[in-house]
Amino acid sequence: MSRFSGRLSSAGLAGWLSAFAMLCAILARVTQAASQGAPAPAPDSLPATIEFNRDIRPILSDKCFQCHGPASQMATLRLDLEDGAKHALSGGRFAVVPGDPAKSQMITRVAAVNPIVRMPRAQGGTAAGEPLTERQVALLTRWIEQGAKWQKHWSFIPPQRPDLPKGLKNAKWVRNPIDDFVLQRLEREGLTPSPEADRATLLRRVSLDLTGLPPAPGEVDAFLADKSPNAYEKIVDRLLRSPRYGERMAFPWLDAARYADSNGYQTDGERFMWRWRDWVIAAFNRNMPYDQFTIEQLAGDLLPNATLDQKIATGFNRNHRGNSEGGIVPEEYAAEYVVDRVDTTSTVFLGLTLGCARCHNHRFDPVTQKEFYQLFAYFNNVPEHGKFRRVGNSAPYIAAPLPDAQAKLEQLDEDLAAADAAYAKLQPDLARAQREWERSLDASAPVSWAPVRELVTLYSFDTDLTPQVAVLQDAKDSRARVNAPRGGKDAAGRTAPTLAPGRIGQAASFDGKSFIQFDGDIAGFDSYGSGRGALGANDPTVTFDDAYTMAAWIYPTAPSGAIVTRDEDVFEPNGHGLNLRDGRIEYDVVTKWVDEGIRLRTQKAIGLNQWHHVALTYDGSRWANGVKIYIDGEDQKLEIFVDDFNSQGAVRREPLRIGAGGGPENRFRGSIDDVRIYKRALSQAEAGMLADLTSVTAIAALPEDKRTPAQADKIRDYFLEHALPAPIAAARTRLTDARVKRDGFYQSLPTVMVMEDMPTPRETHLLVRGMYDKPGEIVTPALPAALASSPNTFPPNRLGLARWIVDPSNPLTARVTVNRFWQMYFGTGIVKTAEDFGSQGELPSHPELLDWLATEFVRTGWDVKALQKTIVMSATYRQASRLSPELQAKDPDNRLLARGPNVRLSADIVRDQALAIAGLLTEKIGGPSVKPYQPEGLWNEVGGGSAYVQDHGENLYRRSLYTFWRRSIPPPSMANFDASARENHMVRPVVTNTPLQALDLMNDVAYVEAARVFAQRIVKEGGKTPPERIGYAFRVATARRPKPAEAEILLNAFRQNEDRFTSKPEAALKYVSAGEYPRDNGVDVIELAAYTSVTSLILNLHETVMKE
Amino acid sequence: MSRRFEDPLNLTRRRFLGAAGLGIGAAALAELLQVDLLGQGPDGVSASATGGLPGLPHFAPKAKRVIYMFQSGAPSQLDLFDYKPQLARAQGTDLPESIRNGQRLTAMTAGQASFPIAQSIFKFAQHGQSGAWLSELLPYTAKVADDLCFIKSMHTEQINHDPAVTFAQTGFQLSGRPSLGAWVSYGLGTVNQDLPAFVVMITGNGQSLAERQWGTGFIPSRYQGVKLRSVGDPVLYVSDPAGFDKAQRERFISDLGKLNQLEFEATNNPEIATRIAQYEMAFRMQASVPELTDLSKEAEHTFELYGPDSRKPGTYAANCLLARRLAERGVRFIQLYHRAWDHHSGLPKAIRTACAQADQPSAALVQDLKERGLLDETLVIWAGEFGRTVYSQGKLTADDYGRDHHPRAFTIWMAGGGVKPGFTLGETDDYGYNITQDPVHIHDLNATILRCLGIDHRRLTYKNQGRQFRLTDTAGRVVQKALTFEAGSGA
Repeated sequence: MSRFSGRLSSAGLAGWLSAFAMLCAILARVTQAASQGAPAPAPDSLPATIEFNRDIRPILSDKCFQCHGPASQMATLRLDLEDGAKHALSGGRFAVVPGDPAKSQMITRVAAVNPIVRMPRAQGGTAAGEPLTERQVALLTRWIEQGAKWQKHWSFIPPQRPDLPKGLKNAKWVRNPIDDFVLQRLEREGLTPSPEADRATLLRRVSLDLTGLPPAPGEVDAFLADKSPNAYEKIVDRLLRSPRYGERMAFPWLDAARYADSNGYQTDGERFMWRWRDWVIAAFNRNMPYDQFTIEQLAGDLLPNATLDQKIATGFNRNHRGNSEGGIVPEEYAAEYVVDRVDTTSTVFLGLTLGCARCHNHRFDPVTQKEFYQLFAYFNNVPEHGKFRRVGNSAPYIAAPLPDAQAKLEQLDEDLAAADAAYAKLQPDLARAQREWERSLDASAPVSWAPVRELVTLYSFDTDLTPQVAVLQDAKDSRARVNAPRGGKDAAGRTAPTLAPGRIGQAASFDGKSFIQFDGDIAGFDSYGSGRGALGANDPTVTFDDAYTMAAWIYPTAPSGAIVTRDEDVFEPNGHGLNLRDGRIEYDVVTKWVDEGIRLRTQKAIGLNQWHHVALTYDGSRWANGVKIYIDGEDQKLEIFVDDFNSQGAVRREPLRIGAGGGPENRFRGSIDDVRIYKRALSQAEAGMLADLTSVTAIAALPEDKRTPAQADKIRDYFLEHALPAPIAAARTRLTDARVKRDGFYQSLPTVMVMEDMPTPRETHLLVRGMYDKPGEIVTPALPAALASSPNTFPPNRLGLARWIVDPSNPLTARVTVNRFWQMYFGTGIVKTAEDFGSQGELPSHPELLDWLATEFVRTGWDVKALQKTIVMSATYRQASRLSPELQAKDPDNRLLARGPNVRLSADIVRDQALAIAGLLTEKIGGPSVKPYQPEGLWNEVGGGSAYVQDHGENLYRRSLYTFWRRSIPPPSMANFDASARENHMVRPVVTNTPLQALDLMNDVAYVEAARVFAQRIVKEGGKTPPERIGYAFRVATARRPKPAEAEILLNAFRQNEDRFTSKPEAALKYVSAGEYPRDNGVDVIELAAYTSVTSLILNLHETVMKE
Repeated sequence: MSRRFEDPLNLTRRRFLGAAGLGIGAAALAELLQVDLLGQGPDGVSASATGGLPGLPHFAPKAKRVIYMFQSGAPSQLDLFDYKPQLARAQGTDLPESIRNGQRLTAMTAGQASFPIAQSIFKFAQHGQSGAWLSELLPYTAKVADDLCFIKSMHTEQINHDPAVTFAQTGFQLSGRPSLGAWVSYGLGTVNQDLPAFVVMITGNGQSLAERQWGTGFIPSRYQGVKLRSVGDPVLYVSDPAGFDKAQRERFISDLGKLNQLEFEATNNPEIATRIAQYEMAFRMQASVPELTDLSKEAEHTFELYGPDSRKPGTYAANCLLARRLAERGVRFIQLYHRAWDHHSGLPKAIRTACAQADQPSAALVQDLKERGLLDETLVIWAGEFGRTVYSQGKLTADDYGRDHHPRAFTIWMAGGGVKPGFTLGETDDYGYNITQDPVHIHDLNATILRCLGIDHRRLTYKNQGRQFRLTDTAGRVVQKALTFEAGSGA
């Protein structure tokens, strides 16, 4: 450390500053320590009246509940309940004898000198633990003297609207009731409020708080000039109306809701939840009442006639991570998802950390393990699979069109319905026409027919081994050829298949070595790609997400062998394969042998040495229930071995093989005829048509009631394709077109994962020790007894739960919510532990203020904007934030609120502000997430999945809440500034101060570019001279003018860098070339570089990254 | 340890004297300096650290730092360490149900009809005075066998990579807990003021990792592992923008300090002092990181020791060499990940490749530390997240097989500060499937690592969501048998 600090010292102040810094850092720790454990005052400073919740419960909870609490009652003692503490213990002793500390074992044991006798024991053990402090013992003693009265935990008692304090000395300071409560406390502590912040500081503060962006210089001027008494209120109203408000409010909510653009866990592939994110922004901007905001996110799908928006809202509880790792047991993770929902919902809305009750009764709060699983039951009814897709959304999800697209979809639906109706109307005409046509057929000229729509390949083998139809992925593909040796043997010793009598004409005959391989890429039907569109927007590839059909006539002479495959030609191959296996028809569609894909087999076996028709249809759903196998036109019962589909890896192309695939041991013996592949799933009727070779003319000769369904379908389809009268054909074409259009558009819509309930609820068990494979007793949805008022009339489903959460009788929700908003403004909540209002949480610093805000929130109909306004209009909020030595000593953390907030901006605002200051910010709401600058190679370092493909243009300058958030490797500049990785819910941000932040702000291309564009801006609009421009820059960033000493330092910095760059013009050019935003050629490069060094300095100022 | 850096203690004293005139609670400060900075740890080791917790270390530390060579993907203990000649007779036969004993399988082999025993095709021999059995795949490790402490009886609770790595590194299978390195830097603070206390390096292209595995969970993010990268900036954003030179940056830091100082005078916010200090450290990192990663002054024989890859940045060998340089500079926790070991199929070929990458550099690091007198004070760990099955995944042939995940028994080795050299702990049954002697759970390993650093794993806690959390959750016993010293009662 010596070398560089030495050099800095020579630069002047630095050595001194280092020393100073270290001391301050230490001091900060001293004060932190002090605020964590208050120094023990003499017992005579004990409160005259001991209050259980304020004075006693924190001691018991921290020191005793572990062993004598809700989860564990050693020696039959339970101290969180009055009965549990006052009953007779073994030996006729009592822990607590009201009024008589001397007879109370509690006092005897905690005050004992002998460590063998003394309580508490060490955590979870029998060794002696840290003794209570003298003050704690004194408090317990006095409490027992005063009768040992218990209280229900404070936050479980519904808030009552408190009366406003009377008799305040400085009442004229008060602007609204917030101030009454704050002032009452300050006066009790002998403190006075700070003066109001100066106007520029206040404007910057409130702008950052309500919109996440600093005020424009013009806005500062206007505010300073506005002498009207409600000038500030006008600003507040304007900010609350700004669309930036919703974006600002959304960010902490995304943290709370663990929103991200990836699935988490190992592969951490992309998912699409941005429609939910945009719903949140819109809800804040529309000022949706918080009770509605809550109900729609928890149970919007269960509301009567739920709208699309209400369904999208339920994405809240699908934002949890999803595991797609090979080899996981899906049931294990399905349970984790439900636990996550319970945990997130309870923390975010109720301020309770119920996670502990997953494995055992809660140690500190009155929630039993059974109650945990009763809550679990509310969320355990989603038709989901424990194994997520690697890439893309996992069921259940819905198409979530944007309003424009929704209108278009409705139009297309209407068109389709109209076309359908028009065609339906023509059905009698059609039937008549078909009968007439049938009569006209010439029975002496048989007509064969099979479905041809979307037929991508057909091998009839009637003349040779080449396909009669081969729709190629790339018609120019020169490799499109049959790779079968012509006579004799090929290098691998294979003989060519021969032609033999077939089911229709001739067939290909295979000897157990020979096979047919077609190297051309037939309709791209072979992709292992990672989902639809792996090859681009107009990808014609058939992927695992697309439907297809494979069909053939087979005449096997051995019980096992490949029929038609696009499989690797190795044992246990990946790919698509239709095989004969021990006489049964087996279908494998595998992305990773042995656990990923679909593998199934017919129960029925076919006989050898006879012709059978086999058809396989797959609907593109990636589920085994989307697969059908028909033998001789009959739908078969299937035995399913693997039903666990996940696409992965790059597109690989195995050739189409007939009679092979899956290695040399899997060759076909016998004949194969009429091989067909369709790029759609044929219907059962169509499969029947393929298996029934009766000619169209022969069917026509049969009376209608003698035709099999397959025959009836066949002749009808033939008629439709070949002989339909023009007007009916036009109506049919219209219908087909309308369907194609509608379905195509529907496929292009964004989707979002949502909550849904299965019609028959899944059975929920208590899980012993929280283990998915240790089911205990069956439980049904129910509210925790300690919280619900009885009788409760809420239905036992998510909607009932949601309604209870926002019911005015709920003691927690309003408190927890107003506290979180308060934390947003002041850095710390009235209850510091915003995530924990339970027994181990901190007590509120201003209980009456908390209750007033909570009841006011409910009284105003959960009006969020009104709540924000009340807070920022208060005199408390408007105070200057300067820390006086007195306050530094007495209240360094500003819990008493004798000054305004002074906190570092959150990660997103640090960046958004820099973009705004530079004039780079793109003000566009919503849409898919964007990928701004990120150091090269980051995603590849930690893992698989795709590479980071950076965006360009305006997407580089979107607000940070639109930045693509990959959980395993969150955006580094966000992570550096303490942003949540979004692995779990986060409701209380932590702020740290690290050298990595300094490096980021100084050297990240995003900030170097912002400094440069900022410099361009000040040259253009900041006046003519360097002092003017630098002063302007300072003001854009901090909303105030620099003091002379500051101006001088900045000007000197400018001059010095100007000199430096003048001597090194090529360095100047490099410096101002950072980032993709065009450089202003009208500005001299040396000058621009020198200004950039100064604007960078300004972007790095402590004041710039702070809200003061 | 290396004495190339000025004793920070002197520096602290000087700064203290220099700052005494500031009038900032001098008495409180003096008291703190007494406790925190001047106060000697039981053996003086802690004296030079800053930022650790008061009262730590709890015991005289045997190791000052950790180098954790994490072999991600899970190396096959049966092909490297756990010699099972008895399997020759059982080759190709089904694993007896009495051995498998209903153990949970991954979904990858749960559908497999049979579980054919696959003996390793690699030859084993005994090495060193200690006679440790090692596979022919590890010739370099064999040479340092007498410095290593093998634990053949490791077991874990997780059967899939992501949860198992997360479990090994944070003591919990789901994300959200602080990592081992974060706990250590939180508890013990840092020695080197110019480099992060916890450095992470990653190589290979196997199983994915996630930042959370070296993250801080609920403890403040300043304790997180900082990645040392081979692509672009070694530490993110450590390089100045093109065209902006060192002198300009130095002046920039100085100007920024002056401006922030003016701000301090206006607001009195002590956080400003921290910010000034962090910019200074950032500046020092800008010099010390390039110095750290510049291998040009390393001797020729050092490159030979670590193998040819050590000249190529971004290889495991180069990272092992960097690990030694970090150790010399007093970095507290050095975490390497090598993603190369997930051999479900084609194991013989793949494990040869992985060993060719990992064997020589891993052994070289031990030897190099030893030659420089650093091994005694550095705890080195070589471990994956679980082991691999004795039965073949997929088809077993004469020269090919695969192995699935096996959490019930696997082998790791440790070396250096506090662990017994030339020692093997634990045994497995004839199938290498179940532990028959001295089981060591992940929590036990983590408790032991902390104990070597002088930390009682039960007393390094952090309160979160109303509960005191620790690395070892509610479990963990120090593995006394593997230690050279008496860990003490109850540990």
